Amino acid sequence: MFAYSLISGILFGIFFGFMALGLNLIFGVMEMVNLAHGDFVVLGGYVGITALNSWHINPLVSLIFALLLFFVVGLGLFFPLVPRLSHSRDPEMLSLILFFGLSQVLEALMEIKFGVNPESLPLSVFGNSSWHFLGQSYQISWVVSALISLLMILLTYVFLYYTPMGRAVRAVMGNREEARATGLPVKRTSAIIFAIGIALAAMSGVLSPLMIGSIDPTSGLGLTTIAFAIVVIGSLGNPLGSVLGGLVYGISLMLMQTYLSSWSVLVPYLLLLIIVLVRPSGLLGKGVRHV
Amino acid sequence: MKSAGLIGMSALLLTASLAGCGASSSSAPPTKNIKDITIGTLYAKSGAFATSSMPEYSGLKFWASQVNKTGGTYVKALHKKVPVKIVAYNDQSSATTATSLYSQLITVNHVNILVADFGSVLTSVAVPVAQEKKMLLFDQTGTGASFFTPSNPYVVLTSLPTSGLWPTSLAQYLIHKGYSRIAIVYATNDFDQSQDQTLVRKLKAAHITPVYNNGVPTSTSSYSVLLNNMAHTKPQAVIELGYPNNDIAFMQALKASGDHFNMVFTIFPGQLPQLFTKTLGASSINNTYTYPAPPLLSFSHVNYGLNTTQFESAYKKATGQSTNFLSIAGYNTGLIIQKTLSTANSLNQLSLRHAVSRFSGSLSTLDGSFKINSEGAQIGETLPVAKISTNSKGQLSIKFVTSPNS
Repeated sequence: MFAYSLISGILFGIFFGFMALGLNLIFGVMEMVNLAHGDFVVLGGYVGITALNSWHINPLVSLIFALLLFFVVGLGLFFPLVPRLSHSRDPEMLSLILFFGLSQVLEALMEIKFGVNPESLPLSVFGNSSWHFLGQSYQISWVVSALISLLMILLTYVFLYYTPMGRAVRAVMGNREEARATGLPVKRTSAIIFAIGIALAAMSGVLSPLMIGSIDPTSGLGLTTIAFAIVVIGSLGNPLGSVLGGLVYGISLMLMQTYLSSWSVLVPYLLLLIIVLVRPSGLLGKGVRHV
Repeated sequence: MKSAGLIGMSALLLTASLAGCGASSSSAPPTKNIKDITIGTLYAKSGAFATSSMPEYSGLKFWASQVNKTGGTYVKALHKKVPVKIVAYNDQSSATTATSLYSQLITVNHVNILVADFGSVLTSVAVPVAQEKKMLLFDQTGTGASFFTPSNPYVVLTSLPTSGLWPTSLAQYLIHKGYSRIAIVYATNDFDQSQDQTLVRKLKAAHITPVYNNGVPTSTSSYSVLLNNMAHTKPQAVIELGYPNNDIAFMQALKASGDHFNMVFTIFPGQLPQLFTKTLGASSINNTYTYPAPPLLSFSHVNYGLNTTQFESAYKKATGQSTNFLSIAGYNTGLIIQKTLSTANSLNQLSLRHAVSRFSGSLSTLDGSFKINSEGAQIGETLPVAKISTNSKGQLSIKFVTSPNS
């Protein structure tokens, strides 16, 4: 049971790391916590479910559709919302309120469109075979979801570290004012990262029914909480921290489900408390940045 | 700045799960001024319990509309028929929100009758509020055994037996089949936990100790790892006790795992078959076991209100929706209220409670026999165990494996 829980935890951890990646990117560049993050994950989930049920489109295709659609949605949301916030007296705090409001609006709209019942993708959508490892069988949908998540994390890493735009993003993450002073297009960089963050959330959402069982319009808040915990565990503003945070969360969750199942709901909050008390800057954090 | 964001985030997440509380207390209007009977209730339009709460609320509203078509319900205390008016708020499946709304119904809206929202989680907060305000709570489907105590005369369970009684037939069947390796996973709430306790107690009395018996949070949506852990214990029978969302997630994980057990039991396919066949596909619940509830368990001979067939037809015509157990439970609550008002000598809450005791045991509705014990818990209805069969067209049928009259 330990080996199964550990491997399942790693597969789930990679997925959860991917799910939290968009939240971390947006926070890293804009220092704004997107409280509607979980709702974009859920919206992505509905894209995958609707595409399969209505048009028999495989979720692998829906992933690309979600990426493109929500990149545009992200850009559409950025310009009317974020620049105004950036110029306000307390952008961080106001962003919490604004994105909380956006979260409520999205939840209400999803309820109108999709109803209140939980919905899911068939777990056999990628085939009925299993992955056998160390004498255990794992659902192929978990393995495919983890591999896609890993691929997307690697692509994000390559984007951040090996492209001119990625270098600009990291410069803005390091110090927004210095980046502006050196002539970097901070606003354009922020817009693209915001759109990428939303698109990544929606992409992870397409896979989410396969990993978390089902989604409904109210799932967003819980997913935001998990993503936030993962980001804090890894390191706020460090995308690679999401991966580490995701692994810590996923493995802890699975071990807790196996050995102390009644308490498994506490995992994100316990990890959050421990990290904030022991290492406030997160596992990969290099200390608190003072502005 | 980041720490400020962190604190702000925490505060907002907390705010998201909390609602305002407290309401001023004031007395109800004098009986002679009553122009209508106000029934205060809550419904969950969103969240984990929306699936069950909305049809239950719809059933209650259907009853009110039927009664009002005939000029209202007869109120013995007023010696006349009085229209019924429902005052309802959306608790969004949040027990915290429900707490303040129950108080509001009593102290601000001054309702004559208080009806709980669906299930034990949302009823658990109504029980102490009603007791404190000395208001009789018509508990529709909150079957948690802890709600019913000798010291609280302000609660009556209208549908379903108290959950401590539910597993009686299930335990009988498991023992009868000679299953010695039984795995149980239950959601940690009053409803499921009390069933687990009863089931384990009855099995142990037959010298059977479950090979797996663990609780999971009610919010659990992925059972794959849990199912794998259960499978390691090589059970003959797997029992999952949860709410509809738990049952759906469990069945989905079971289907994906490819595991096969002699017997798989879940609660809600017997109450919400359409939801399960739509969400999971009919084949997913084929050959599994459940507690069949009305309309799967049909009552043609009733002495109060519509019978099952009449209700299905009238409800469909009025609402356009198909009947499920919860819409029947909502309608049945209305019938119990109607009978209470026509029996009670005054609208005093204890008088209403005494009236319920007076007709307890003599009422047969489309939900079965209505009978309560001295603590207000329903003991008249039975919950047999049945095996579900589905055909290639997705049509569902059941076969009782324990007597429906036991």
